[in-house]
Amino acid sequence: MSDSAAAPTSTGIDHKKLIMWLFLASDCMFFGTLISTHLLYRKLYPTGFTDAEGHVRFVQNLFDIELTSFSTFILLMSSFLMALAVSAMHKGQIASFRRNVLGVILFGLIFLGCQVYEFTHFYHKGLTIQNSVFGSTFYVLTGTHGTHVAIGVLWLILLYFYSFTGKLRGHIGALDVEIAGLYWHFVDIVWIIIFTVVYLVEYLGPNGIWGSAAATIAP
Amino acid sequence: MATAAHHAPVTDKTELPVERSDIGLVRPDRTTGLLDWLTTVDHKKIGILYGAFAMFFFLVGGVEALAIRTQLAKPNNDFISAPMYNQMFTMHGTTMIFLGVMPLSAAFFNFLVPLQIGARDVAFPRLNAFSLWTFVFGAFALNVSWVFEFGHLQGWFNNYEWYSKLVYKDFAPANGWFSYAPLSGTFGQADAALHAQRFTGVGTDFWIIGIQILGVASLAASFNFIVTIFNMRAPGMTMMRLPVFTWMTLVTAFLIILAFPAITVALIELMFDRQFGANFFNPTNGGQPILWQHLFWIFGHPEVYILVLPAMGIVSEILPTFSRKALFGYPIIVFSGAVIGFLGFAVWSHHMFTTGLGPVPTAAFSLLTMAIAVPTGVKIFNWVGTIWGGQVRFTPPMVLSLGFIWMFMCGGFSGIMHSSAPADSQQQDTYFVVAHFHYVLLGGVLLGLMAGLYFWFPKIFGRMPNAAIAYIASAMVIFGFNLAFGPMHYLGLTGMPRRTHTYQTGYGWEQWNFIATIGAYILGLGVFLAFANLVWTAWRGKRAEMDPWDGRTLEWSLPSPVPAYNFAQTPVVTTRDAWFEHKHGGARIGALADGGPEGVHMPSQSWMPLLAAVGFLMVGLGIPMMSMGIPHLGWLVIAGLSVLILGIWLWAIEGPGGYHLKTPSAKTVTPTPTASVHA
Repeated sequence: MSDSAAAPTSTGIDHKKLIMWLFLASDCMFFGTLISTHLLYRKLYPTGFTDAEGHVRFVQNLFDIELTSFSTFILLMSSFLMALAVSAMHKGQIASFRRNVLGVILFGLIFLGCQVYEFTHFYHKGLTIQNSVFGSTFYVLTGTHGTHVAIGVLWLILLYFYSFTGKLRGHIGALDVEIAGLYWHFVDIVWIIIFTVVYLVEYLGPNGIWGSAAATIAP
Repeated sequence: MATAAHHAPVTDKTELPVERSDIGLVRPDRTTGLLDWLTTVDHKKIGILYGAFAMFFFLVGGVEALAIRTQLAKPNNDFISAPMYNQMFTMHGTTMIFLGVMPLSAAFFNFLVPLQIGARDVAFPRLNAFSLWTFVFGAFALNVSWVFEFGHLQGWFNNYEWYSKLVYKDFAPANGWFSYAPLSGTFGQADAALHAQRFTGVGTDFWIIGIQILGVASLAASFNFIVTIFNMRAPGMTMMRLPVFTWMTLVTAFLIILAFPAITVALIELMFDRQFGANFFNPTNGGQPILWQHLFWIFGHPEVYILVLPAMGIVSEILPTFSRKALFGYPIIVFSGAVIGFLGFAVWSHHMFTTGLGPVPTAAFSLLTMAIAVPTGVKIFNWVGTIWGGQVRFTPPMVLSLGFIWMFMCGGFSGIMHSSAPADSQQQDTYFVVAHFHYVLLGGVLLGLMAGLYFWFPKIFGRMPNAAIAYIASAMVIFGFNLAFGPMHYLGLTGMPRRTHTYQTGYGWEQWNFIATIGAYILGLGVFLAFANLVWTAWRGKRAEMDPWDGRTLEWSLPSPVPAYNFAQTPVVTTRDAWFEHKHGGARIGALADGGPEGVHMPSQSWMPLLAAVGFLMVGLGIPMMSMGIPHLGWLVIAGLSVLILGIWLWAIEGPGGYHLKTPSAKTVTPTPTASVHA
């Protein structure tokens, strides 16, 4: 971490906080490119994908929107707990910080568990990385987001245990937690966008936004 | 946290007891020689290492270029085989751009930016070391492909099962520097091992992972420099007082952090296609290869400005110094640089006019491409305005800078020709394009960087390069360059295709190709002579004064070589060109009451950035070797990722460390013949 975190800066913004904002700007372009890839192909091939038996499958029939809504809600609530953890750290309430950050870790793990279940479920329904462009863009986009969540969970677990060494304190300790929070909120916001443009728009109107998923056709 | 003993100011770290990091390990602080260079966090030493590696790879890329030119010297030549030729031009382009120009620019960023803004180091010294070693290992992983190619030609692998199963046996990258899909990708259905068929050999896998690792290095360095420039300016160093080189560094860093994610995603997608049978660019299952072109050039065109803006910054420092005038139109030059950076994101499709975008996008990208010539032209007029009426001294850096303006302009003019889509569709993939971008990147960028090397070398090593050799080398470079690339305009317009292994007699290309090859050899000798002169100077050159050129910016107010703490007292500036004004009766540089016997805080060295970068090296070697089908190499990738995570974790918990170094008191600091700094 910053080797001169406590030194005054020209802008008044701490080095660590500024570099995290810059990283997030860069990560915006990263997810922007991935989401664009998915949407471009979605527009090009509105029907969905073909499974191993050669049946055309429609995305609406693949998704389990109730489950994904649940995991989205869980991730949103984890951001709320993260905000509480950051606030507790600023007030120096280390016990409250630990309670809230444990909640964030737990919710993050639930989200990841839902994603693992979803991937397995979709795989058994016939969607693979190899059999369609939709499979490639879907798994790589949501998998990359899942990797971001996993890195965040690992980071928070390390911060949690670090708090027991007594070194996580004062202005610098609060800052360390705050930049972890910035990262967590960002990953959450990216999921809100993915949930909207990858999942929800498939349900706009009877045939989905891509004019595709004839819901009347049995899967 | 450092122990109490480490808070006592010292004149040398060895006066202190051994420093232990927060996790109890001894910090590598008191070593010299190799261990010092491996663990250093000093931006000046990191800059020197960047420069040394970049110059080495310039020579590697130069040898590859000469192999290409030798092959093309006469028609129907068989100096190198067609597959070898493909590998040569691919690695020539990749090496020159990612291992030559970008790291040499990074060398200047590292060495100069903290000195020019009055800081003692960059914002994140260990992250800076991580950038350096990640670059070095990425470059290494990319070039290990040559070792495999050599082994393949020597028959080392003939008895191995994995070797006999390989369909394509080109081991070095062979797709050209932009690795267009579908050639770089796959076709057909994936088999049970999740592999679709490939069009090219594992060289492409070396290329993918090598560029990916180099991207990490560039991103980390850019985050660091933006924070440094925003946050660590000396008192009074407002944004509009920054030296222009620092400004161009800032714009370049922003281009890198916003452009590299596009290539990162494209590389991930291509890697998934090749390693796991995904369909991003696989036409059999509906993948669109043209997506690769879009993603590549969304990165690739800003990359052109990533290469050229630092050279523009260097020239903007050299011209005022040797014209003894302030830079003409400083705010306009800065603004033009920012506009170039902004528009650089809006012109990518002019690389794709022949792909059939349709009339509206083609017209839009044509117009935007013409528009980006405006801020570039503004800069050239401002540079000419700077020289106008000045007391011009034709020192080696000045000669090279003037060469930069002239050659870059020629490249710019042929660039304007490309902006017209109908003309471009005739010039696409001919030697005309090769001539154009070599005028920009070699006549422009390389001359600018060489000018920078000759300008700042006395500051970096405290020794003055031999001027006579420098003049001879400059003349050889400029003459040889024009002899090599001037004729290519003609060759291209008469239809000679780019990336052709050989050509038949009777097209009228023999004479000009032969002349171009002679020019390339003169150019190569010139660059070698210029670099050899610098290397010799670093060890044996004549001692230079601290301010041999009558410099204008803060770095010239420091002794040469620059002490570890840079500024004994933090300077306080009140004007642009603060050091020049200070010397010549204008506003004086003040000083904060820091340093002196109280000492200044210095960061401690660390092994962890190097350790984390070693993780990248293991991944970089593991994935292509796994792709060759060598058994058990997946474990090397997993081990590499573990080493990376371990390195970052130890880095986070070892603590920044640090100690306090005494600096000379205000009376003795920065002696100057014309004025005392702190009078």
